[in-house]
Amino acid sequence: MSTHAQAPAALDLSKAAAEKKYPARMPRHGNAGLYRRIVIGLLALAVLAPVGLIVYQSFLTAAFFSPRAQFGLDAYKYVFTDRNFYKALATTAIFSFGMVAIAVPLGGLLAFLITRTDIKGKRLLEILVLVPMFISSIVLAFGYTVSVGPTGFVSLFIRGILGFVPWNIYSLPGMILIAGLSHVPHVYLYVSSAMRNLPSDLEEAARTTGASIWQVSRDVTLPMVLPALIFAAALNILLGFETFGIPLVLGDPNGIMVLTTYIYKLTTLFGTPTYQLMAVVAVVLILITLPLVWMQRKLLRNTRKYAAMGGKGARVATLKLGTSGQVIALSIIGFWLFVSVVLPIGGIAVRAFVDAWGEGVNLWDQLTFSNFDRMLEVPSLVRGIINTVLLSVVGGAAAVGIYLMVGLAGHRNWGLSNTVLDYIVLLPRALPGLVIGLAFFWVFLFVPLLTPLRPTLVSLFIAYVVVGLSYGLRLLQGTLIQVAPELEESARTTGATIGRTWKDVVIPIVRPGLAGAWALIMIIFLREYATGVYLMGAGTEVIGSLMVSLLQTGAMNTIAALSLISIVLTGAGLALALRLGAKIHD
Amino acid sequence: MNRILSARAAALVFGTALMTTFGAFAEELPAGYPADYAAIVAAAKEEGTVSIYTSTDAAQSQKLQDGFTKKYGIKIAYNDLGTNGAYNQVISEAAAGQTTADIVWSSAMDLQMTLVQDGYAGDYASPEAGNIPAWANYKNALYGTTVEPVGLIYNTKALSEDKLPKTYADLIVFLKDNKTELQGKVATFDPEKSGSGFLHHSNDARNRPDFWDLAKAMGENGAKIYSSSGGMKETVVSGENAIAINIIGSYALDWVKESPNLGVHFAIDYTPAFSRLALVTKDAPHPNAAKLFIDFMLSSEGQSLLAEGGLPSVREDVTAGLNIKTLNERVGGGLKPIAVDEGVLEYMEPTKRVQFLNDWKAALGR
Repeated sequence: MSTHAQAPAALDLSKAAAEKKYPARMPRHGNAGLYRRIVIGLLALAVLAPVGLIVYQSFLTAAFFSPRAQFGLDAYKYVFTDRNFYKALATTAIFSFGMVAIAVPLGGLLAFLITRTDIKGKRLLEILVLVPMFISSIVLAFGYTVSVGPTGFVSLFIRGILGFVPWNIYSLPGMILIAGLSHVPHVYLYVSSAMRNLPSDLEEAARTTGASIWQVSRDVTLPMVLPALIFAAALNILLGFETFGIPLVLGDPNGIMVLTTYIYKLTTLFGTPTYQLMAVVAVVLILITLPLVWMQRKLLRNTRKYAAMGGKGARVATLKLGTSGQVIALSIIGFWLFVSVVLPIGGIAVRAFVDAWGEGVNLWDQLTFSNFDRMLEVPSLVRGIINTVLLSVVGGAAAVGIYLMVGLAGHRNWGLSNTVLDYIVLLPRALPGLVIGLAFFWVFLFVPLLTPLRPTLVSLFIAYVVVGLSYGLRLLQGTLIQVAPELEESARTTGATIGRTWKDVVIPIVRPGLAGAWALIMIIFLREYATGVYLMGAGTEVIGSLMVSLLQTGAMNTIAALSLISIVLTGAGLALALRLGAKIHD
Repeated sequence: MNRILSARAAALVFGTALMTTFGAFAEELPAGYPADYAAIVAAAKEEGTVSIYTSTDAAQSQKLQDGFTKKYGIKIAYNDLGTNGAYNQVISEAAAGQTTADIVWSSAMDLQMTLVQDGYAGDYASPEAGNIPAWANYKNALYGTTVEPVGLIYNTKALSEDKLPKTYADLIVFLKDNKTELQGKVATFDPEKSGSGFLHHSNDARNRPDFWDLAKAMGENGAKIYSSSGGMKETVVSGENAIAINIIGSYALDWVKESPNLGVHFAIDYTPAFSRLALVTKDAPHPNAAKLFIDFMLSSEGQSLLAEGGLPSVREDVTAGLNIKTLNERVGGGLKPIAVDEGVLEYMEPTKRVQFLNDWKAALGR
């Protein structure tokens, strides 16, 4: 048995020392090395096939399947000499960092308030703060235009009082603010699941020595959840680079272009799609991801440091906010919820029940159900709803199983395969959904054994699993990391194999986390839109991608009705998950 | 003896079956259909399904689909992929030897013509070809199925019908004269992001020497650019923009019925119209069903169902909705359908296209 079972949580071990003291010393036999290698190998194949195809495509002069395609750097030359590319790159960088600067502090603060303090209405808040995640950014942006756009109902109301509208959502700051606020839940999820598992004795100790609640959060809680904050920040920078809906709806009309809208433009700029140029931009995005992963690995090298779910039962007590604290905290949350939930969803809900809105239109006169009536007459839209539910509920559960298998393969794994894992996980997230979806479409079309899967939901499922990998796996890993090694070591020393240890020790401990992960993955699959655009066909329609194709003709009535349905579905799914006793977070 | 008898019996049965088939369809077939058409129908029913790759929203063509399935009992696999999506899937599938599309039906006239020129389309002389205008039939490979005018929409609270410009030239003057009221409130298609937008603008550039004056006038008004007609409609309905130029007028004719503060307007001397083009793929897995669908889509029955869905008919004898003749009256007599010929490929040539887009951006001051 390890002599370090009682080591202080913050004991600083270098990676080499950790390897020496813990897993590398575990008996070679039954170390599940083969299992790890097979699972990670399969995953690498699933991720690298589409990514590799994109890289290959970027070095060609035409579509890779075209007889005219030759090797060459023409595509790189075009993109790297295009003034618009650099303009888009700079705008994207400002957009992403601005978004992170808003989302990370706010998400961290929310997580702290909800998990570590006695804030009122906790149970309700836990659900409400996730709502912005339920909505795909394209719908979110659209909802904002109806409520706070130049002629939105809130804007018109404010104009009635002030005589002018004091904001403009069609500007870069407007886009950053909206994106930042809507990405708060992504940060919240990571940070809150880390915070929930922290034993509260450290915080209590700080409180008893006279530290204020803000000092406690800054000096005790914050350092403990640093890895989660770093995960969240890195992930959100990637998400910022990948965001499509908000720049498309809010930036585009005024010529504010980011890399994803630049890629979108490349599909039509030359009449026929220029895949090689799109691939080059995608490669640029991949190259931006790599240093981020490297940085994250460096910062998180010693995971033992953060193990907090130990053998002794962690007692979680909450910090008392006091009356004024409650008022301040609830006002902050209330205002954020109003801006990032009520405004966009209100906009969508209004739009779904009217035909006309805006200046000089009385919304009550326009009230109608025709948007829904008409939608239900179209079989492909109805099928889209059914398929989406199927993919998110069943597919989501299956995806959790896959992520768990991958998570275990990477659990206490110090070998090369783990390095591979760290790098491949974020790759698909770095690529715009449209591009990764296109690459998957090609993989399913050109790889002989996979062709029968293309017209089925399985192709969408596989693409979704890969696209959701960073969320899902990080979530499970976050939970797995917190299982203190001494528990596993005790099992191993009593003769259990790695497999037995996982089955009887690790999985039972993380089981509550799995239900939460399922709910999260379900949401992610529900809101996914860009990935399915090229993969879906007759019979395999999904709501999100239907909305993208409807957006091309601009059938806003149907889009609004579909968005509202997708929001309601998500709400229903969450309510069910809660009812069944699954906790969303821990 | 036995053998001869059974052979006779078989022949009798076969003959009766054949005659029944003929009989059943002979009465349904309109004049001008070839005598062996029943064989195509029978083969199509045998195929049982037809796969359509399209940019047309299912809602707009649902009546057509239902009508076809009801008539022949052939299922439709309807793939609404957008113009680029449809094009991409067709060429990818062909390269992989996995063609699943039978029909490609898209509003991107240039992409459709590119598919034909690059050999992705099969030839099919539809018996209905004689009933549609000559400009809508390109070498029996590509058929124009609709005629959809390009026009402008405006917010009725911001602008009144009687003040709107009558002609194309008036529109330029109108934009210049109302600079203060229209500043930042003019919307139009973004030709860089929208294939339809490119088609509308570049077709104007081909036909109107004063197109660039219009573009400059829009630029002086701080025009905003969008990638879909529906997106523009949303901003005009809400009053965010006062006017949207070069949008799909057939959609707009439907929108104004529902939105009280939306108006649609066409220049009386010049209203270009594009057409949704249909082709049968060369390696169509269901070639007979595909032929049947093309014929149905061009038939008076199919055209009526399309027109009811808001897509005006290319046939003058269709009474439901609008047809090419009544549409021309509705837009003030200046309807100029874009011919289905190589002309639509003019701007597919890269240098010419880049030049056009650069001129466009310069005119708009971007």
